[in-house]
Amino acid sequence: MATSPSDRMQGTLDLLVLRVLQQARMHGWGIAQQIQLISRDVLQVNQGSLYPALRRLEERGLIGAEWGTSEHNRRARFYELSAAGRKQLARETAQWEQFVLAVTRVLQEA
Amino acid sequence: MLSPARLWRRARALFASRRLNDELDEEMRFHVEMETARHLGAGMTPDAAREAALRDFGAPVLHREEAGDALGVRAIQDFLADLRVGARSLLRQRTYAVVATLTLAIGIGGTTALGTAVYRVLLAPYPFPEAHRIVTLWQTDARVPGSTQEVAPGNFLDWERRAESFDLMAAAEPYSFDWTGPDGPERFSTTLVTEDFFAIQGLRPLLGRAFLPEEFAAERGGVVMLTEETWRSRFGSDTTIIGRTLDLDSASRVVVGVMPDDAMAPFGAELWAPKVLRGDEREARGEGYWQVVARHAPGVTLERSQAEMTLVAQQLAQEHPLDNGAVGAAVVTLRDAVGGGSRRSLLVLFGAVAFVMIIACVNVANLQLGEALRRRRELAVRTAIGAGHGRLVRQLLTECLLVASIGSAAGLFLAWAGIAAIRNFAPQSLWQLSRLSLDVTALLLASALAILSALAIGIMPVAAARRIRLSEALAAGVRGSAGSGRRQRANRVLVVSEVALALVLLVGAGLLFRSLTELGRTERGFATEGVLITTVQAWNYYPTAAGRVEFVRQAVDRLDALPGVLEAGMTSSLPLSWPIGAERAPVVLEGRPAAGGDQQPTARVAAISPGYLTTLGIALRAGRPFLDTDRAGSAPVALVNDAFARRHFPGVDPVGQRITMAFVGRPTSREIVGVTADVRHDGLHADPAPGVYLPHAQAPTGALHLVLRTDGETATLLPLVRAELTAMNSAMPLEEMTTMTTLVAQSLQERRFQLGLLASFSATALLLAALGIYGVMSRATAERTHEIGVRLAVGAQPSEVRWMVLRSGGGLALVGVIAGTAVALLLTRYMTAMLFGVTPLDPLTFLGSAGVLLGAALLATWLPAWRASAVDPVVALRDD
Repeated sequence: MATSPSDRMQGTLDLLVLRVLQQARMHGWGIAQQIQLISRDVLQVNQGSLYPALRRLEERGLIGAEWGTSEHNRRARFYELSAAGRKQLARETAQWEQFVLAVTRVLQEA
Repeated sequence: MLSPARLWRRARALFASRRLNDELDEEMRFHVEMETARHLGAGMTPDAAREAALRDFGAPVLHREEAGDALGVRAIQDFLADLRVGARSLLRQRTYAVVATLTLAIGIGGTTALGTAVYRVLLAPYPFPEAHRIVTLWQTDARVPGSTQEVAPGNFLDWERRAESFDLMAAAEPYSFDWTGPDGPERFSTTLVTEDFFAIQGLRPLLGRAFLPEEFAAERGGVVMLTEETWRSRFGSDTTIIGRTLDLDSASRVVVGVMPDDAMAPFGAELWAPKVLRGDEREARGEGYWQVVARHAPGVTLERSQAEMTLVAQQLAQEHPLDNGAVGAAVVTLRDAVGGGSRRSLLVLFGAVAFVMIIACVNVANLQLGEALRRRRELAVRTAIGAGHGRLVRQLLTECLLVASIGSAAGLFLAWAGIAAIRNFAPQSLWQLSRLSLDVTALLLASALAILSALAIGIMPVAAARRIRLSEALAAGVRGSAGSGRRQRANRVLVVSEVALALVLLVGAGLLFRSLTELGRTERGFATEGVLITTVQAWNYYPTAAGRVEFVRQAVDRLDALPGVLEAGMTSSLPLSWPIGAERAPVVLEGRPAAGGDQQPTARVAAISPGYLTTLGIALRAGRPFLDTDRAGSAPVALVNDAFARRHFPGVDPVGQRITMAFVGRPTSREIVGVTADVRHDGLHADPAPGVYLPHAQAPTGALHLVLRTDGETATLLPLVRAELTAMNSAMPLEEMTTMTTLVAQSLQERRFQLGLLASFSATALLLAALGIYGVMSRATAERTHEIGVRLAVGAQPSEVRWMVLRSGGGLALVGVIAGTAVALLLTRYMTAMLFGVTPLDPLTFLGSAGVLLGAALLATWLPAWRASAVDPVVALRDD
């Protein structure tokens, strides 16, 4: 499972987006704010990566999108998790936890 | 991995890209506004807030591109963009685009057309199941090595009975039926076949049924089948034709079926009928007139069947020494039997076309290279502003793709035209070409060629683009250098090879052309201008010998009396035309020791009227011609030709000698009363064979060619001749009248076809080579403008500059001519069979072709040379 650093970054962002959307449907800016908020400002989502990531997830059918009205009465595009996305989220969360466990173990016991 | 849903999304993304782009823009605008609001809320001023938001966000263009990329649509959008840029770029380089496209079109079109023809004649599988087991059988003559002849019925029957290598054997006999149709008497060309003829080919009738076994027996022979072509053209594809009767040869025959055109048949055959053996045919072993096909028993090889047939032939030679003494048997595969000589020439022509195709690709590649070099500054700048190396290569390749596509489309059109031309002008011996069309084979070939050429011409610019570096390219402009030595050399090699290939083609065409002229000039032995010929088969209408003799005498007299007719005569065997009856007979030279079985000489025989020799202008060498006094009851006489005299009476006067031969009657001893000049009977290229003439009154055949020499107005004579003959016998059908000029042209048809093709190819190759030289020299002088300017500035004369360029171009061409000559010297030996009167190494042709090519090269170099000498030194030195 050799991934390049950028792939891993990409994959991580995807995972975060899916997780955020699991709670509620949101527009792109909202997703970025949410991630920043919950991670206590550690993870600042690069806006340049966010929208490509959203398109990617949409193309893979893991999230759906439609236009709606935002809280300020502006037109915005809202995303929500699809059934396939839910399954993928569960799978990737498990993989991530495995990954973290493995790395931690090596760092502690090597 | 790509589910239908994903494909659908990609497709939608591709086609609705603008709408998606707008949506993305809106989405990002929203994001920026929200960020701005956030910054405002944190206390920034509105302007600062907006600035911060935008800065954080980054360039929208990149976002859009990446987002588009994520949708998997980037590649296709890039490709479409490349196409647009490529098209615009090609429009700017109009000359190059047109030349390249035309070149490819000609190459692909020509190769496809001829390739399809070659495939059809040489490679296409026969439409018979088990075609590999089908062979043809022929009689051979030990005295004429290498010849094959048709088989005599008696021999066929013995072969069929004795040979065990074949499980089926059958024969076909060319014949004709006279039919009284609504427009008057007509003749149908008919093929009589024995019982297993269709079974061997494994073909089923299109309509109706084939012949039943009992229909081959004597009493019940009243049936006939139509060929598909006749059914369509003469009977209008009428499906109710089965069961109708036709009045053929004054007897009723029922049409029982229609046979598809796939069946093996002599050229132009219209009807099929069962062969009912006449009693005398069962023992006929001398002259053969049957074409025999057979099918190998399972597992039998050609070697085995040939060995067996040789044995059988030997047995028959011992049992019938007089007839079969020199007769052998030959087993020939189907493919070899059909159009043997023409196949070779087709291959030669295909080689020529392949050459042209290579030249075409080389030219286009060269042009591409030149264009890439010319644009190197433009391309280098593009690289500098971030086009990316891969993108650059992609763009150049796209241009190549455009040229290749348009060239291929045009090539396909040319191929269609070429195929139509081949179909119309193909000689009769290549019957497979009569149905040539732009079919699957042709399309496959064209596609393969298109792809190959696209690849071939694409490699050049890719290689060139790789070496483009910005500084080098810009610096090159300043110094006016002519590009790296390696590039120049590649250029020159390409052009030299073009010239070489063009020379090879020119030599080939030149040799063929000289062959044709030699053939035209060769001594024929007979007159050609204004000679009109009508053919009749009089057997059925004048059943007695006396009747036929009287008919010929009257016909010749009446036709001679027609206005415009200078002389009239009759012969049973006409030069350069298909036999209408027996043409050979064994000859016994009296007063010689009795010849053994294989020493028996044969000769061509023709029964003629007294006026025939003068009608055709055949000279008399010795003795006297036939007179009216040479009649049925008087002393039997004969005339022999020079070839006969040389062969059988070397050094002796043949006049007065006696020969015995049988022709339309019992063997008769005859006195030779004269010697005639030779006539090129079998073709203008064939040496005259020994021949004997007999007076018709003493050899009353019914197969008659009535020959008229006119003062040239043949058109007005046709109805008059017809009227005379119809008046003499209204029921007797007349074959279509023809002229000797037509017969000569037909005999040359094949060669003319070959020459036409080869000449067009060499002309194209010449043009392409000239263009190639022009291109190279143009570019060379353009790149050396600076250097030329310097030379002119320090005092060189314009004529010196011109000479310099001419020498350079001429030098290239000379190298090409030498290389091409070497190749041609090696290759022309394969053309030997197609030549006449010239050797494959004919110096005149070689020198002539070299001269033409050098001349064209010099012409092509002239314009760049002149332009070079007209360079303004001031401008050149300033040139950047």
